[in-house]
Amino acid sequence: MLKTIQWMAVCLVLCLSVGTAFSQGLSPPSNVTAVDTPNDDGSSITITWDAAAEESGISGYQILRRIAGGELETIGDLLPVGTTAYVDSSIEQGTSYAYIVRAVSETEATVDSEQTAPVEGNDEWFHTGKIPLFITMLLFSAAIVWNIYDARSGKELFVRRIPGLEAVDEAIGRATEMGRSILYSTGLGGVSGVATIASMTILGQVARRTADYETSLRVPCRDPIVLNVVREMVKTAYLEEGRPDAYNEDDIFFLTESQFAYAAGVEGMMLREKPAAIFLQGTFYAESLILAETGNSVGAIQIAGTDSEHQLPFFIAACDYTLIGEELYAASAYLSREPMLLGSLRGQDWGKLLIFAAIVLGVVLELSGISWITTLLQRVR
Amino acid sequence: MKRQVPLVLCFVFGIAMIFTQFSPHSFSQGIYEEVIRWALIIGPFALVLATVTLIQTHTARIRRRTEHWQYSFVVFAGLIVMVLIGIFLKPQNPMFEWLYNNVQLPMDATMFSLLAFFIASAAYRAFRARTFEASLLLITALIVMMGNVPVGDLLSNDTASKARQWILDNPNLSARRGIILGVSLGVISQSIRIILGIERSYLGGGD
Repeated sequence: MLKTIQWMAVCLVLCLSVGTAFSQGLSPPSNVTAVDTPNDDGSSITITWDAAAEESGISGYQILRRIAGGELETIGDLLPVGTTAYVDSSIEQGTSYAYIVRAVSETEATVDSEQTAPVEGNDEWFHTGKIPLFITMLLFSAAIVWNIYDARSGKELFVRRIPGLEAVDEAIGRATEMGRSILYSTGLGGVSGVATIASMTILGQVARRTADYETSLRVPCRDPIVLNVVREMVKTAYLEEGRPDAYNEDDIFFLTESQFAYAAGVEGMMLREKPAAIFLQGTFYAESLILAETGNSVGAIQIAGTDSEHQLPFFIAACDYTLIGEELYAASAYLSREPMLLGSLRGQDWGKLLIFAAIVLGVVLELSGISWITTLLQRVR
Repeated sequence: MKRQVPLVLCFVFGIAMIFTQFSPHSFSQGIYEEVIRWALIIGPFALVLATVTLIQTHTARIRRRTEHWQYSFVVFAGLIVMVLIGIFLKPQNPMFEWLYNNVQLPMDATMFSLLAFFIASAAYRAFRARTFEASLLLITALIVMMGNVPVGDLLSNDTASKARQWILDNPNLSARRGIILGVSLGVISQSIRIILGIERSYLGGGD
């Protein structure tokens, strides 16, 4: 009996010695820091530590945390070796947490780092990583606002010719002469889409002219809110042109919210009604070419405009005129010729000039081995 | 008053929304999420109105016996069946899902597949080498097409796919970025006009 106990004691000592020998190869994670994650809403703490050497025998890391005076708790899964940071997003604001990074070897031996100082998650009012973006936005906005108010002085502003917008009158006139309707699609965008708002603005101008010419204006809508805004806009346009009698609410209707059902519906209208002019203005996706090609097949004069750069080639191939990107947003100023709106276009050009100058300067500096602008742009989040 | 209140609301919420993009604070993010929630609430009310206009449109089509008026019955059948099943059996019901998966999805897929034919016809028109620009487009398109099919690489010893990648990464990407920059500036400009109440046509036009 005594011998058995002696044997067991020897085995235990041996096991402990082997375990210690293995764990002696493990060094604890060094330079462990825990800080409140910058530029967040105070919902996370970032823990960082130094990378372990390749031959350290570490197979992963486990993060442990302790609320002041509480027990240690394990958070998250075992992190792979090579990891040097962990974001703890399961914290409560106003509570202090201290962290330990535990190195785990392949034999599951462990060694703990020193405990970090307690840290709390605080929410920040301003995202410092967005300072360059904020300054650029302020500069650009100031340029636009200055130009808008400068335009009030009555200065003549030059606006380059936009063929797609010049053709609006031609398209409406053609439809009037042929005694056919005009089809206007605001696309698939919702009312919160800026492209849809731009499209509705163009529609307002088109409606004024159709009211004058007594031409039927058909507007199939995909978004219920857009439908109501469009009805109100077209109705006001007809009222202001003194032709409330020519306004027909049934011509502006809801079709469907489904993308391809909308495409099928508008396509059907094109084939049945054979409109003389088709306006495709706003946000479009894969249905753009289906609509534009069908419009082309019925011989309508087509004016398209979108800010979806992937759909632009389709419109350019299938339509008579295409408003490319920013031209869509310039349309209301161009058509109405209101000085304040035209002023904003000049502000836009100043912005383009600023970007162009930054690109040229960036290229020159980069070629000279100076990476200031590249580094600045990389830091913008 | 009818015009002033929306303009003031637009200004206040426009500025607040810009602020939320630069402030990660839970207060500002809370405002952002709250406003998004309000926008979601408006949707169902507008949808009711939209459904009413849909019914009115198709009722008028049937009454006036316009071209293909019979299809309006299909619209009503679809509308009534889906609404009844959705209300009484709930949208999780297998029948509701079956109708969606076996009726609506195949029809959507059919429309989408038509795109291939439309691309062919549009490409035929666009690539007719009548002008210098059209010829350039045709040559570029041929290179990109050859780079996309295995036979292109087989015939050109991988040159086609390298040329295709160069075209996509350089002239194509540059042009796209130019458009995106212009669009971004246009969006900011349009937003400022709306926030400042200079662009008010979305309120129904006029002053």
